[in-house]
Amino acid sequence: MLLFLRERISPLIAGTVASILALTALIIPIDTALLLGSISLKISPSIQFFGRSFSLSNADGSLLAVIYGLAALWFFGTEASGSANRFVSFGLMIVALLTASIAVEPFLFAALLLEMAAMLVIPLLIPPTQKPSRGVVRFLIYQTLAMPFILFSGWMLAGVEASPGDINTTVQAGTMLGLGFAFLLGVFPLYNWIPMITEDSPPYVVGFLLWALPTFIVVFALGFLDRYTWVRTSPQLSGAIQLAGIFMVASGGVFAALQRHIGRMMGYAAIAETGLLMLAMGMQSAEIVNVSFLLLIPRGLELAVWALALSIIKRKAPTLQFNEVQGLARSYPVATTAIILSHLSMTGFPLLAGFPPRLALWQELAGQSLPTSFWVFFGMLGLLFAATRTLAVFVMAGGNNVWKLSESWVQMTMLGLGMIGLFILGMFPQVLQPFLINLPALFNHLGQ
Amino acid sequence: MLIFVSCLLLFLTSLALIGLRLTQPTARFAWLVAVGGAMLAFASVFVWLAQMPFEFVLPSWQPGVLFSSRVSFRADGLSWPLALSIAALTLTMLLTAVARPIIANSYTWTGALALGGIGILAVTADNPLTLLLVWAALDFTELAAHLLAVEGVSNNEKVVTSFAMRALGSGILLWGNIVSIAQGSAFNFHSMPANSGLYLVAAAGLRLGVFPLHLPYSSESSLRRGFGTSLRLISAVSTLILLAHVPAGNSASLTPFLLAFAAVAGLYGGWMWLRAPDELTGRPYWVIGLAALSITSALSGNPLGAVAWGCALILVGGSLFLASVQQVWLNRALLIGAWSLSALPFSLTAGAWLGNLGFFLPLVIAAQALLVAGFIRHALRPSGRDTLDSQAGWTRTVYPAGIILLIACQILLGFIGWDGALQVGAWLPAIIASLLTVGLVWATPRFRILNPIRAHWVKGSASSRMDEFYGSLWAIYRMFRRISQAVNLTLEGESGIMWTLLFLIIFISIMTQGLP
Repeated sequence: MLLFLRERISPLIAGTVASILALTALIIPIDTALLLGSISLKISPSIQFFGRSFSLSNADGSLLAVIYGLAALWFFGTEASGSANRFVSFGLMIVALLTASIAVEPFLFAALLLEMAAMLVIPLLIPPTQKPSRGVVRFLIYQTLAMPFILFSGWMLAGVEASPGDINTTVQAGTMLGLGFAFLLGVFPLYNWIPMITEDSPPYVVGFLLWALPTFIVVFALGFLDRYTWVRTSPQLSGAIQLAGIFMVASGGVFAALQRHIGRMMGYAAIAETGLLMLAMGMQSAEIVNVSFLLLIPRGLELAVWALALSIIKRKAPTLQFNEVQGLARSYPVATTAIILSHLSMTGFPLLAGFPPRLALWQELAGQSLPTSFWVFFGMLGLLFAATRTLAVFVMAGGNNVWKLSESWVQMTMLGLGMIGLFILGMFPQVLQPFLINLPALFNHLGQ
Repeated sequence: MLIFVSCLLLFLTSLALIGLRLTQPTARFAWLVAVGGAMLAFASVFVWLAQMPFEFVLPSWQPGVLFSSRVSFRADGLSWPLALSIAALTLTMLLTAVARPIIANSYTWTGALALGGIGILAVTADNPLTLLLVWAALDFTELAAHLLAVEGVSNNEKVVTSFAMRALGSGILLWGNIVSIAQGSAFNFHSMPANSGLYLVAAAGLRLGVFPLHLPYSSESSLRRGFGTSLRLISAVSTLILLAHVPAGNSASLTPFLLAFAAVAGLYGGWMWLRAPDELTGRPYWVIGLAALSITSALSGNPLGAVAWGCALILVGGSLFLASVQQVWLNRALLIGAWSLSALPFSLTAGAWLGNLGFFLPLVIAAQALLVAGFIRHALRPSGRDTLDSQAGWTRTVYPAGIILLIACQILLGFIGWDGALQVGAWLPAIIASLLTVGLVWATPRFRILNPIRAHWVKGSASSRMDEFYGSLWAIYRMFRRISQAVNLTLEGESGIMWTLLFLIIFISIMTQGLP
């Protein structure tokens, strides 16, 4: 229905719906009758759909609140970004499918739902009347290749659980599982579609994709770790996850530092951030869930602010190359500040949202391996170099350029709120605690 | 809580100035608002003495299991004199603004007040986490104030370079703490392992604000003298406090090397300061010289000395750099700064050489003498300064009051308020340094080698060397960029998927070799 509404109304409706769903998830318990006067309200814990069961427990409430809260942020920003109507309608469908992926039983079917969500992103990534770019095609290929690997690995892992001594099956299952998630998350060296689409496709849509898919895939991966003891306790798999994470953080940082395209920089920063998530999942620690979600929530805000600001800049400088955005800080001060702050946040700059989770991760990693911490530090330095280069290009204006505001009030308000959010999460990360406190209950074995 | 009150007074005044600028850009009382806020903040720092030592701790970060440190500030005998110096400098900067060519509510006043507040938070930071957060706030404030104030491509580039250097310094402190945690220590100043000392010195070196050497101001701009002074000096002191917190015994194996490095830096800074054509051109060397002396004191196990040099950096340096007007009696009053720098009994720096300096003592005495001699030369040679004759009557009272305030604070801190007050100190090295200073002052006009070097010569030589350095860095960067472009073209081209799968197979092969 949102497809047919006016562009100014549909983001408001989608944002409001997502906010209401977030509040509902936070306030109303699942499978508990709530008396409102004479009316009794109860959210059923599961529904059947085409023979599959979709189940949610009370512990899922915080997770859903976080997801729909961040989705609301994205939808409210749609108008400011100038994205078309279909973003909110497809966006809602994508979030719904991804939410279904964490609720579906048997949980292996999540791979199918993730694939469907990936397919729904395609119309958003391709501007109308244009052929799909190479990056979009590659994204679809990799996401599609992931599905059979995940399904096979799930089937094989059941065998491994039954006969844990069978080394061959164990190795095959581990390899299949690793490949499946490598394709899904865009793990080194399978991430080259990310910089490609950040260069060709609308930044706001790409930002949404880089937030939504990895978030749910991480939740899905944590589910795997939680369910299969062998996966959780295997030092080889943990080592492989960490090695891939190191490659992603370090290469993401280095490649970002060597870019001259501010869109591609966002892509590489997202890659480095995914690397941090992998390092968190590969930790031999009881704090995997806390650290992972501490990384995931600011990521949503950082990418939303960054992508929105890029969308605004892209109208003035369509290629987003350095030579086109030079000196833009004087005419687009709010958008350029938003880009720099989100970028710095992703480098773990103190006072910004990305700092507390990186500090927590570093403290955990330092206790396990100093070289791993060093490579993370190296990757973050690469991102910092990229941020300062971008800043230098933005402020490189001649003497006759005067300061002026070219952004609209809506854009300034959305970006301003986003930037305030970055500072609040950076100074007071405890505001996330009401959401984080129940999340370990989703994964019974990981926190032990 | 009192720490918070002092800072809040400065921040609120800063916000009030922004409000006034937006609503009443021509309001003549903006200066009064600024000075009133700074004065209240200055007075509030004295109130700390009634409760010292005390802490101000913010609610802990959650989940608590992941964040062992809390954001906390502490007022004690080490942090109070620095906080007082910063508050005094901020007030003086505003009081002396009346003698500048343009006096109007500008972002530089707002920036200076905010900088003062953040500076006080920095010197009272009680652990590295707090210091990192305050440093970041300082960096953002500086960046915003500079970008709003400077013009031209080259100047903007310098601002970003300065920001990047400071950010790198913060990064090195963070890395030092990661190393500390890896070795089983906590994330605080007092339990850092031996090899963290090097990281702290490197972090301090990058954050002292001496790189790039000259900030982006035109040589005669009022911004360079007023806001530039606050910026340079508060940045430096907010860094030096890091070293004052580190007990020397913690980095015993590296101490001789670090002491040697600091002594050489002190000699270099002192020599360049003595020969600088004017005080503003020589300001980076003043910071290098006094920071080196401060580091030397800290490394010799004397944090009081480090704080004393930090106070001297602000109070003595501030009085000289903010003095933009020619007045004979005021120029002579500035010479009290030489007493403050002398380390003689009951002076501000009396406790400076109480640590164990060993055979580095002659070097640091020489560095101290060079700095004091340079200070005397610059104080007595106010060439190019304006006079107060053409100014309004009230400015002839307000302007000197600002300079006198800093001089009074120098004298005051020699006697009350902190752990380094009322010290007889190491009087023998102080007397030797004083005699050497007298000798240098006498010799400066008589020996050519001690004569000031020409400004354009300093700038040309330094900038050409830096240009070469930057050029070589950019050449390396371009080489890496070409490599990355080749990799990207390969992986993102037509055959990209095949290359990617090949890499993946290699990766899996390597990983599976590790399996039993």
